[in-house]
Amino acid sequence: MSALHALVYLSVLIFLVACVARAVRIARAPMHLRWELQPVPHERPGKSMFETVDWWEHSLDKNHFGELAIMIPEILLLKGVWEHNRSLWFPSFALHFGLYMLIGNMALAIVLSIMLISGVSPDAGFGLILTHAIRAIAVVGGALGTVGAILMLVKRASDPGLSKYATPSHYFNLVHLGAIYLTTVLWAVLESAFVADVSAIYAGIFTLRAIPALPIIGIVHIAVVLLFFVYLPFTHMTHFFTKYFTYHSVRWSDEPNLPGGKLEKSIVKNVTQPVTWAAPHIGADGKKTWVDLVSGTGEVKIEKEA
Amino acid sequence: MPCQFCGVQPHSVKDMANGADRLAKVDPKDLMPLPAPYDTDEFRPVIPELKDSAKETYPSSASLDGVIASGAPQPETPEEEAEIVERFLSGLHKLFSKENNWTFLQPLTLSMEHCARCQSCVENCPIYEASGWNELYRPTYRAEVLRRLYHQYVRPGNKWVKKFQNNDIDLNYTLIARLYELSYRCTLCRRCAQSCPIGVDNGLITHDLRKLFSQELGWAPKELHEKGTVQQMTVGSSTGMNSVVVKDNIEFIDEDMSERVGWDVVTPWDIEGADILLLENAGEFLAWPENHGCTAVILNKAGINWTMSSEIAGYDGVNYGLFYDDVQLARIATRHFQIAKDLGVKKIVMGECGHEHKALATIADRVGIDLAPRESLLTLLADIVKRGKLKLDPSRNDFAVTLHDPCNTVRNLGIVEPQREVLRSIAPKFREMTPHGVHNYCCGGGSGFAIMSGNNFSEWRNLMSARKKFAQVLNAFGDEDMTTDETRKYVCAPCSNCKGALRDMIDFYGAKEKSGLYYGGLVELVVNAMPDTAEPLLDWDMM
Repeated sequence: MSALHALVYLSVLIFLVACVARAVRIARAPMHLRWELQPVPHERPGKSMFETVDWWEHSLDKNHFGELAIMIPEILLLKGVWEHNRSLWFPSFALHFGLYMLIGNMALAIVLSIMLISGVSPDAGFGLILTHAIRAIAVVGGALGTVGAILMLVKRASDPGLSKYATPSHYFNLVHLGAIYLTTVLWAVLESAFVADVSAIYAGIFTLRAIPALPIIGIVHIAVVLLFFVYLPFTHMTHFFTKYFTYHSVRWSDEPNLPGGKLEKSIVKNVTQPVTWAAPHIGADGKKTWVDLVSGTGEVKIEKEA
Repeated sequence: MPCQFCGVQPHSVKDMANGADRLAKVDPKDLMPLPAPYDTDEFRPVIPELKDSAKETYPSSASLDGVIASGAPQPETPEEEAEIVERFLSGLHKLFSKENNWTFLQPLTLSMEHCARCQSCVENCPIYEASGWNELYRPTYRAEVLRRLYHQYVRPGNKWVKKFQNNDIDLNYTLIARLYELSYRCTLCRRCAQSCPIGVDNGLITHDLRKLFSQELGWAPKELHEKGTVQQMTVGSSTGMNSVVVKDNIEFIDEDMSERVGWDVVTPWDIEGADILLLENAGEFLAWPENHGCTAVILNKAGINWTMSSEIAGYDGVNYGLFYDDVQLARIATRHFQIAKDLGVKKIVMGECGHEHKALATIADRVGIDLAPRESLLTLLADIVKRGKLKLDPSRNDFAVTLHDPCNTVRNLGIVEPQREVLRSIAPKFREMTPHGVHNYCCGGGSGFAIMSGNNFSEWRNLMSARKKFAQVLNAFGDEDMTTDETRKYVCAPCSNCKGALRDMIDFYGAKEKSGLYYGGLVELVVNAMPDTAEPLLDWDMM
């Protein structure tokens, strides 16, 4: 196992562990009060549960295709940015779609590497098609992403509405992503062995076999990609998976609390926690629970505060 | 002191902590233009300067934008100032603890940590637009202040890394006082949240900021707290009416309504085992008594077995805790649930009050177990009309009608169609606003603004938070002559707070006299369409 093997394994491990840790931290937060935001697409089309008389006596089946119909155009085409921030749409779309293409290309390269491991020649048939496709997607996706990163940088720096709220990391992230895209394009265009090298890297990672010597541009690309893997889980860019929570656990979370239902256990757990809010009207002493404070309304001293 | 005719706006988020006399001021010429005939300078007045006494009492709050909604207590010594900063920090930590803020910890943390600062949300804010895009009112501005404080003081990590990722901000009393005041420059309408591709919610951030101030420092507008939730739990209603007074008022309303419709209208009280506990906004009984009267007429005509409760808080469906304090919210909601349980009703029906819908139907749905079911009067009303329980003649509503969607009813509960089904069957000249339904604009009175009028806040509300809605109303009646009051135009607003905002807005712009603009609820239109009443319900001269 070479140093490159170790770096790849370590980076991916850090990425996975940090992402899982973040997801667990979010998922383990207490069940919150309902805060749904319409439209909630898993409800019957155009029909909120509250539009039905005695809604609690009716089936509340969820239409998950309705959710997909919202999420797919949102994730792939950035529909929300198109509708609400048109001037940012193309830069952002290029930046994101370039990444989707490169991630898809990784999957193709893995397929090719499995063929290599299995002894199937990449020089004919499906292998040849894959070889050409991987190079083409790398060039197109990398170029699209590069354009997106450059345009986003220009927008970030020149649009006062964006620059006032930009942090140093915003610029760094764009430069970093731009470097990933640009090195992809350069490697794919300048090096005839690009596809062979990439598939050999994956084959080496999967089998611990030696990875062939790479051109400088390939080494630079791998370095920026691995750095990205290590860095990303600690940034707001984790929205690629936390979006699941913002939509499914908040915006579309409309599970009603019906008598004898599955929410009751979580509710009891929540309201039996001690409270330490300090304002006098709350009446907390660090021992009284939510239930004590809320149900004992008449006993709580309510006085005019500062 | 900035010139009263010149605009001022913060250059950056860090300005929140600076020592400027005035962080922002809207130049009247920057205000969002209104459609004709309200497109002249006359309708772009200057917000009156605060009185000297207010400036002296709340100098730091006044230094935000020269408007005071509540005003943060001003410390007199450096020690007091340091203590407030310490208490604020203590509250900040509690806001991100599961024991103290289990109610919203997950959504709040998600919104703190994943905003891309893409600003896709901002153009959806009616206040930001009405102000002529003044930076202070950008919905991400106050959110960014809290986000920086969260990363700086709550999240673990190296300070340079945190600064690299989220920038930083100075924390001092000035910032705290301004942030408190700024948390009352957003109506919590959540249009911005609807447009966020990631799901970040600036409305929630503002809501939780208000909670921090109320639940830790004891700071909240008196209209919401002392005269609101506290009065409701001690006297019985945020209006100040106890059960004797409210029963007396309702009796008077019943008598008046009986005369107007020509048959006996009786409101039943404290009927155990009734099918429905009607819970209305008690503000209606004083400001728009015909709203309750019409509701009673409809329920009686439909043969529904209903009751009202004379218990403390049992005759007032408002719950201002929704806007600023989770504990107060839970106390009032729990009281409502208990009353329903004691009466043994099958369900609570929520009257024409948007925030009551949100507080009771959804937000309070997880504050306890075995809760009484809740249903909207709008849904019930559509069912009554659809089933033909009422004899209705739409020609009696032969005037232009548009519908205002209360944010809480549509954007939170998704109740969009029932009120339209009713209107389509009783109002032949009904037309929609653009946009409407779940994408509506706030009336400008949301989150408590409709009842807050101290200092120069009502002028700010009419010029800023209500301006977009006023423009929408004017556009909805674009095919009518808006230069005369001879053709009547009715804005149907099935929500007490929205009606309060519309009343003030129409007065402020003189739109009743100038354009014949009226407002009212939905049940009034239904009863006005009843052909067998002694006289038409709507009395335009009294409206």
